[in-house]
Amino acid sequence: MTTTARRRLMRDFKRLQDDPPVGVSGAPTDNNIMLWNAVIFGPHDTPFEDGTFKLTLVFTEEYPNKPPTVRFVSKMFHPNVYADGGICLDILQNRWSPTYDVSAILTSIQSLLHDPNPNSPANNEAAQLFRENKREYEKRVQQIVQESWLDDSDDESEQNKNEEPK
Amino acid sequence: MNEQTTQEFDFKDEMIDEKITAQQEAIENEIAREQKLISDLIKLDSLLDEYSLEDTIYRSKIIELSANFSLVRKTRGDGNCFFRAFGFRYFEAIMGKPDEVKRLKDLANKICTDLNQLGYNSFTVDDFKDVFVEELERLADKSDVKLLEEIFNNPGSSDYIVVFLRLIVSAYLQKNADFFLAFIETYQSMKEFCSHEVEPMYKESDHIHIIALTNALNVSVGIIYLDRTDQTEATPHNFPEDSNPNIFILYRPGHYDIIYKN
Repeated sequence: MTTTARRRLMRDFKRLQDDPPVGVSGAPTDNNIMLWNAVIFGPHDTPFEDGTFKLTLVFTEEYPNKPPTVRFVSKMFHPNVYADGGICLDILQNRWSPTYDVSAILTSIQSLLHDPNPNSPANNEAAQLFRENKREYEKRVQQIVQESWLDDSDDESEQNKNEEPK
Repeated sequence: MNEQTTQEFDFKDEMIDEKITAQQEAIENEIAREQKLISDLIKLDSLLDEYSLEDTIYRSKIIELSANFSLVRKTRGDGNCFFRAFGFRYFEAIMGKPDEVKRLKDLANKICTDLNQLGYNSFTVDDFKDVFVEELERLADKSDVKLLEEIFNNPGSSDYIVVFLRLIVSAYLQKNADFFLAFIETYQSMKEFCSHEVEPMYKESDHIHIIALTNALNVSVGIIYLDRTDQTEATPHNFPEDSNPNIFILYRPGHYDIIYKN
């Protein structure tokens, strides 16, 4: 079935390959173009440096008119990331524009790692430490950076955990 | 201990967001089942069925309107109704007229250049423009209402046309920001206004969108305001003001449909 969503996702993928942004990568899963895996490398000069953070992007047939659901699969400690990996980022919610593609989504999340927004916290503890105790914040972030190197094997269970039982 | 509570709280917060989204989607799906994106032609006086007999203001205005207008096409109430109504009616007005189709096509290309200069990603902008122009060109040499209805009722092509019309408005407002900034209150910049109120799909349109779109495309549109104000006649309002339109849109509070002059 060819739909605008699928056609656009093929084009997004081609653009990611032809013109790959620095520090992010992503690709559709083998049998499902609507489900992508991505990796964001922690940006330099941030406490996230050297981390390799995995994400999933779930698209619907309404893409690109509606944004995908993006979640960190790797454990994250960041003021704008929920406990279940969900991301509080305006362009993934009320400021979504159909002109954004996967490349733009991933680079926006990468800049969110660079510049957290503690005013709309998804993780109150991270937001508070970011504001009031940078040293402790950085320590906590470094823990998840180290964990990000280890979580190759448990993607599957993480993903299942995120799915709500119906 | 402390950590536990914050994490739990966050999680609940997220669940509320998800529930709201789920409910919103359920409502959207119901609307989608009940209402085509663009309906077939219906008689204007069939709108009378929507109002009770006591609702004399609406009823008398509809009866008065039927002296000059006789047919209506309803659009789905999904926040895109103005753009979809306008898009359908404009394509309908120029189909089978190769010169007008070419004018719009050239304009579409020029607007893409403007958008690139404004910093938009040409890769995605062109995707919308390409579909817009492809569908338009299918109608260049023939007046085919069936095909037009098919294009606008297929969510793929229809929504892409709506996105491109939204981008036209965004480009025009940003290029003329000095003038239009006076009309927006809650936003710091025109770019911010456009990214919240123009570009996202399903965002409703206001006066400023209509002015921008009709100016950008140099097309005249008449909006017929049908509301509860205490007048006997529905109020027509032309964009631009001194023009003589042949495209008419019926506005009832919160919603735009297409209306045809006799």
